[in-house]
Amino acid sequence: MSLAKQLLADLAAAVGQQSQPFTISAGPRTIHCHALQCDAFAATIDELALETPELAAATVVQLQTASQSLSKRVNYLLEPIAPIETDAQGCSVQLRSNPPQRDDNGRRYYELLLRRGGSVALCRFEKQPGQPRVRIPAALTHEVIGRLIDDFAATVDGI
Amino acid sequence: MDIERDQRRFKQIVRGRIRDNLRKYITHGEMIGRKGRDLVSIPVPQLDVPRFKFGKNGSGGVGQGDGEVGDSLGKPGQGPDGAGGAGSDPGGGHYLEVEVSLDELAEMLGNELELPRIKPKGAASIEAEKTKYNSIRQTGPESLRHLRRTYLRALKRQISTGSYEPADPRVVPVRADKQYRSWNEVPQPQVNAAVIYIMDVSGSMTDEQKEIVRTEAFWIDAWLGKQYKGVEKRYIIHDAVAKEVDEHTFYHTRESGGTRISSAYKTAADIIEASFPVADWNIYCFQFSDGDNWGDDNRKAFELLGEKLIPASNLFCYGQVESPYGSGDFIDALEKQFGSHEKLVFSEIADKDAIYESIRKFLGKGK
Repeated sequence: MSLAKQLLADLAAAVGQQSQPFTISAGPRTIHCHALQCDAFAATIDELALETPELAAATVVQLQTASQSLSKRVNYLLEPIAPIETDAQGCSVQLRSNPPQRDDNGRRYYELLLRRGGSVALCRFEKQPGQPRVRIPAALTHEVIGRLIDDFAATVDGI
Repeated sequence: MDIERDQRRFKQIVRGRIRDNLRKYITHGEMIGRKGRDLVSIPVPQLDVPRFKFGKNGSGGVGQGDGEVGDSLGKPGQGPDGAGGAGSDPGGGHYLEVEVSLDELAEMLGNELELPRIKPKGAASIEAEKTKYNSIRQTGPESLRHLRRTYLRALKRQISTGSYEPADPRVVPVRADKQYRSWNEVPQPQVNAAVIYIMDVSGSMTDEQKEIVRTEAFWIDAWLGKQYKGVEKRYIIHDAVAKEVDEHTFYHTRESGGTRISSAYKTAADIIEASFPVADWNIYCFQFSDGDNWGDDNRKAFELLGEKLIPASNLFCYGQVESPYGSGDFIDALEKQFGSHEKLVFSEIADKDAIYESIRKFLGKGK
């Protein structure tokens, strides 16, 4: 069973529960998912990350190329994603919603971090006027969560 | 002359308009047509002088029309019904470009923001040559002829040679009597300032943030330029790597790298060490970033700031400009690390309207 299917099965079993951490491994890859709330169709996720030593030797150029491909694949979230910053020293690429969602209550955006070492991780932030920026749960349907894991895996495969 | 009085009055009115709208100019960078080093061109609404306008010939005149002698002309608004409406041309589009000196602008800024005069630190040990007309020579251009000395010398000569007639007191200078003003280069101590601008140009800083930095830096320049005779400016841009650049590059570069503020602090410390001995210079650092510093870089940045930059500077100002992704947490970490250090000033600049308060905060210390 793929990582995505395993996680979706675990999420289905955890309907109605709160603050559930899930860790699922298959071969060299591990999925970390912290679901704050879970119902039959969706979950609010604090962080969703794919960790793998397969990215241990990745170069910045490879990560940049992978980030471009990831931003093209992940086109089903609330906002489009684009690479924003590349840290050559730390060998990582930061992708964010571009543009972020803006309304009277501030702005919200996804952040994806692709790191040598390595991992692909997603979380969501909110900045309300006059308040510091905070991490907020991302509400995602089970289907979207499964698709994200598949796309993370495809990105690692492409490096 | 009347026209000169009118011109003076006109200038007063124009400057009054600029003073009234200074906040708008400060926050929205409307000194768009900067003319050069000393003059700024500012658009102010046109000042209309009332004047007569000629009508069209043959379009009627006094005593013409349908009425009879003795008919009432009626009151305004009592004419035949008709739809009124606005004119088709947009109004209020006339602007007058006025040239104002940077000194004058800085003075207005100081008054508007109630900024204290800067007290330079240390002794004025930088020397600049200044020309002073403080000696006399036998030769020189006629424009510099010293009349009083020339006539005194001629008088002395005439008296000593007996050619002076008290009954006919005419003094006629000859070539040898002529005296001319001359100059010497006098070394003059000057208090100088070095301003180092640091800007984060990483991927998350957009053109809008850079425009805010440009506007704020313009007014800081104007104020420091008024306070010091010579202001040396240096520009540093950084993402994960920092470099010193010229002014144009500073405002027009965009990189896609990550943010490592320590790289900029290191470059600034190197510039100070190489070019600006701390004892001789009043050093100011103005740093602008969206505060999204990467990884564990804060620790290294604070080390450099605490050990090198703050001790060397009169003032270290950090402006955190809000990016489309909000403001990072560098400003909070900075405040936590250094608290209310007397040489450190922090300012959060959410948008263009916040520039005004930010300038007041930065320059309000009088250091």
